[in-house]
Amino acid sequence: MALHKDIYREFEDVVGPEYICDDPAIMPSYHGTEFAAVILPENTAQVQAIIKLCNKHRIPFRPVCTGWTGKFAPGFLYIDLRRMNRIIEINEKNMYAVVEPYVITAQLQAELMKRGLHLNVKGAGSNCSAMLRGHGHLDQTTSGDDRNHLAIEWVTPAGDIVRSGSLGSSDEWFCGDGPGPSLRSILTSAVPPGVTPGVFTKAAMKVYHWPGPAQFPVTGVSPNYQLSEIPPNMMARYYSFPSVEKMWQAEIKIGEAEIAFELMGFNIAMVAANISTSNEQEEENFKRLSKEIQGPGFFIILAGNSAADFAYKQRVLNQIVNDNSGKSVTSLEDPRTEGILLCQCIRISASIRETFRPGGMFKSIPVMGQRDLTIRWAIGAGKAKEPLIEKGLIVDDGGAAFGWGVEQGHLGKTEIFCKYDPHNEVANQAVEDWHKEQSDRAFRENYFALLIGQAVEDWHKEQSDRAFKERYFALLIGQNAEIGRALSNYDKWWNEIQKSFDPNRVSPEGGALV
Amino acid sequence: MGLEQYQGDMNMCCRCSACKWVPMQRVSGYQFANVCPSISRFNFHSYSGGGRMNIGAAMLRNEISYTDRLQHIVYNCQMCGACGVSCNYAMDMNVMEPIYELRIKCVKDGKTLPALDQTIEGLRKTGSIFPPNGKRGDWAQGLDLKDAAKDKVAVMLYVGDVTSYDPYLQKLARATAKILQKAGVDFGIAGNAEVSSGDRAYQLGYEEDFLNQARKNMDYINRNGIKTVVTADAESYQAFKVLYDKYKLRGSLQVLHITEYIRQLIQEGKLKPKNNVDMNVTYHDPCHLGRLGEPWVHWEGKKVPGDRFVFDPPKQYRRGSNGVYDAPRDVLNSIPGVKLTEMQRIKEYAWCCGSGGGVGRSNPEFAQWTAQERIDEAETTGAEAIVTACPWCQKLFNKTIDDGNSRMKVFDIVELFEQSIE
Ligand SMILES: Cc1cc2nc3c(=O)[nH]c(=O)nc-3n(C[C@H](O)[C@H](O)[C@H](O)COP(=O)(O)OP(=O)(O)OC[C@H]3O[C@@H](n4cnc5c(N)ncnc54)[C@H](O)[C@@H]3O)c2cc1C
Ligand code: SF4
Ligand code: SF4
Repeated sequence: MALHKDIYREFEDVVGPEYICDDPAIMPSYHGTEFAAVILPENTAQVQAIIKLCNKHRIPFRPVCTGWTGKFAPGFLYIDLRRMNRIIEINEKNMYAVVEPYVITAQLQAELMKRGLHLNVKGAGSNCSAMLRGHGHLDQTTSGDDRNHLAIEWVTPAGDIVRSGSLGSSDEWFCGDGPGPSLRSILTSAVPPGVTPGVFTKAAMKVYHWPGPAQFPVTGVSPNYQLSEIPPNMMARYYSFPSVEKMWQAEIKIGEAEIAFELMGFNIAMVAANISTSNEQEEENFKRLSKEIQGPGFFIILAGNSAADFAYKQRVLNQIVNDNSGKSVTSLEDPRTEGILLCQCIRISASIRETFRPGGMFKSIPVMGQRDLTIRWAIGAGKAKEPLIEKGLIVDDGGAAFGWGVEQGHLGKTEIFCKYDPHNEVANQAVEDWHKEQSDRAFRENYFALLIGQAVEDWHKEQSDRAFKERYFALLIGQNAEIGRALSNYDKWWNEIQKSFDPNRVSPEGGALV
Repeated sequence: MGLEQYQGDMNMCCRCSACKWVPMQRVSGYQFANVCPSISRFNFHSYSGGGRMNIGAAMLRNEISYTDRLQHIVYNCQMCGACGVSCNYAMDMNVMEPIYELRIKCVKDGKTLPALDQTIEGLRKTGSIFPPNGKRGDWAQGLDLKDAAKDKVAVMLYVGDVTSYDPYLQKLARATAKILQKAGVDFGIAGNAEVSSGDRAYQLGYEEDFLNQARKNMDYINRNGIKTVVTADAESYQAFKVLYDKYKLRGSLQVLHITEYIRQLIQEGKLKPKNNVDMNVTYHDPCHLGRLGEPWVHWEGKKVPGDRFVFDPPKQYRRGSNGVYDAPRDVLNSIPGVKLTEMQRIKEYAWCCGSGGGVGRSNPEFAQWTAQERIDEAETTGAEAIVTACPWCQKLFNKTIDDGNSRMKVFDIVELFEQSIE
């Protein structure tokens, strides 16, 4: 799979010998995949030159920011964007920030907070790229997915540099849709495969007003961080409800009233993970908190622009919660715990605790749609988890799902996952089966769900006689076709567009949807 | 022991990259958010703590073999422990232990670097990791100190290799001794009989050489009825306190860093800093005093059946929570006139000075690159001096400043404290 040494040298001439490597010793840390090489460009010009070479030699590539997720086929050129890590501009007046791919969210967020601003953070966490689209805890107020992308600088799969939106007609980043070309549906498509072909090299992200402090007053030593005080006019609570219907009504009303800074439908297992510094503590907290709730619930942060605004928001919240028979989990009101939750859930520094810590792996099904319906679907998926929990094959999280509304409305994301030990073969298979069955059910019942990365997995399994590139593309197209049939055959159009952008088929998608 | 025992920990790595950064809640801006010198300098993921987990796990599965690149990765790491702290904010897994074991394995497999082999050869011949220069106890001439082997003392001042032999740093040994004299402590030194604590040998992966040194030191200590070892060398502090305990060699010996001891002596009224030392300073936490100075935790138990990784009894990970962070700050703050301004990366998430892990020897350019980053960070505080509590840090900072263009001065806490009590 290694590159011919003359070709290697051509890539080396672009980035310099220090920034390309095909030594087998580095591959375990690159998803255990035998890549043709890993290359580290420094700027857009280098990315462009790399892609042109990929076209010349018909070498498929994938760009990667932090590389937390991703399934990749061997033989690709792995473009690690780690060196493209500059914040280009924070435009306070027009409320956007322009970043390169490897600025992580925690960095941008910290700079924004100093300026009274913040951004949508992917639920994955602030350890991920600030630039890529995603959904997160702040979706209710900041929206999510691609809605926060403004102008983008994009190197196409053929190696052309395209500047979308206002950047296409001027030097301005303020708009993704014009004046200039709007490529939103191609660049940040929300339908599968969900990630763009080519490489984003810079993007402007929308930013929002931040009513909180310039920096959280974090005290203590890791992992026992706390806030020395709850910042003025801020509050974090967890409310549980007697039924999904009541919880959903409260969620909708809070959206309509536009009072929440963040509304995140954590299940109580996730809250336990967030406030615990070890697996043992998490298990204990989960058992304790499970007894304190009356049913499904959500976590909410209020942040007032003034004392009066805060008091108003509190009053409205209390009214909505009371109307829907909600109850606050009082043990979480303890300022020490409240402080941890407040800071962690805004800076999103705990998703690792929620997902990987207890079992070592998780497998997830995210569904998009009307929240009350998707929650009902997820209850079914949760029931299907119960036998696995009883057999001790997956971590007991009460079988609950989680999720959040987007843009103060009735649409949103609901997600359910199994946490398990991937080295336990029986558990692995059981989770695999659950995942397939429940994803298929979601699909059959017309929910928008996706078998993430399935094409690549299938390719791995079936890699044999055919030239791998064609096989890979065929599988991707096959997977999209299944969804395409349900969505006006969009996949056929998508495929045509793909071909025109990527005539040499060097830039297959293949990452995660969310 | 061995890499095998950490297979589960290494398999646990989820590639989240948290180990490249200070803990997310501590990221306070664009700058100085990195915490791992190795990935910051060499960029390929393999150089991060997580990359090292992936490599270790792949080696156990016999999926990779030794290459020059592999050795470059293994030895271009300061063994500073920052990755472990950031990882353990969220994950339950050992990070530093497998990194040590990977080096031990390299040594056992004969895959070492000539520069490091030479260093160890020197240790075997001279008992010092730092090339000797005269006699080991020469620094003490004229101080009239007791001999820990002859004069029955409960407290021994252990000086360490670099402070004993480096002509510039010998002043630290003298300052430390004078502070103890001033407090009226009945202490002695081993003088020419002192030998390396073995910490560097351990960091380089030469486990047997480390054990050899550890046994020599503990024989001396036990033979002479010494109850407490005090040292101003952070690496030796970590060896005596943590590593000797890990290998069950320490027994009941009490180990104190000089800053811990000074703080205690101030509290007991035996030391009273009086003289003004007018200086704006910032404090650099040495890795081996700070996060790696956390006591060893002996744990034996088993995984509770089921799919959650919980253990009986609960497994205690060394997450950096119990390192020595306050004593040096308390001592600094006790000196009249000293104004301490903190850097962005401190305590458990401090940036390493660059000297650890043998990097100063095997790749001086990388060591100085790392030190320069810390000096730049120190400069943003407006301080005129970096104060540290380890001679290795001071030596590298000074060299980097001399070779560059910073006007920053460098002191050890004992130097400033001694001035305040003279
Ligand atoms: C524990 C966990 C929780 C998660 N929770 C959420 C969640 O709540 N919400 C959510 O939205 N997502 C979630 N995800 C998915 C998450 O969005 C991605 O994992 C995250 O974006 C990965 O980090 P990254 O941003 O650095 O992207 P990477 O992992 O580097 O890349 C992600 C994908 O984008 C492609 N890509 C990377 N850079 C570029 C570029 N410059 N141009 C074009 N394509 C590129 C990659 O090839 C890959 O396919 C979660 C993932 C994990 C592991
Ligand atoms: S070592 Fe820890 S912090 Fe680093 S990638 Fe692995 S799990 Fe994440
Ligand atoms: S020990 Fe220090 S230098 Fe080595 S990988 Fe960890 S953080 Fe990086």
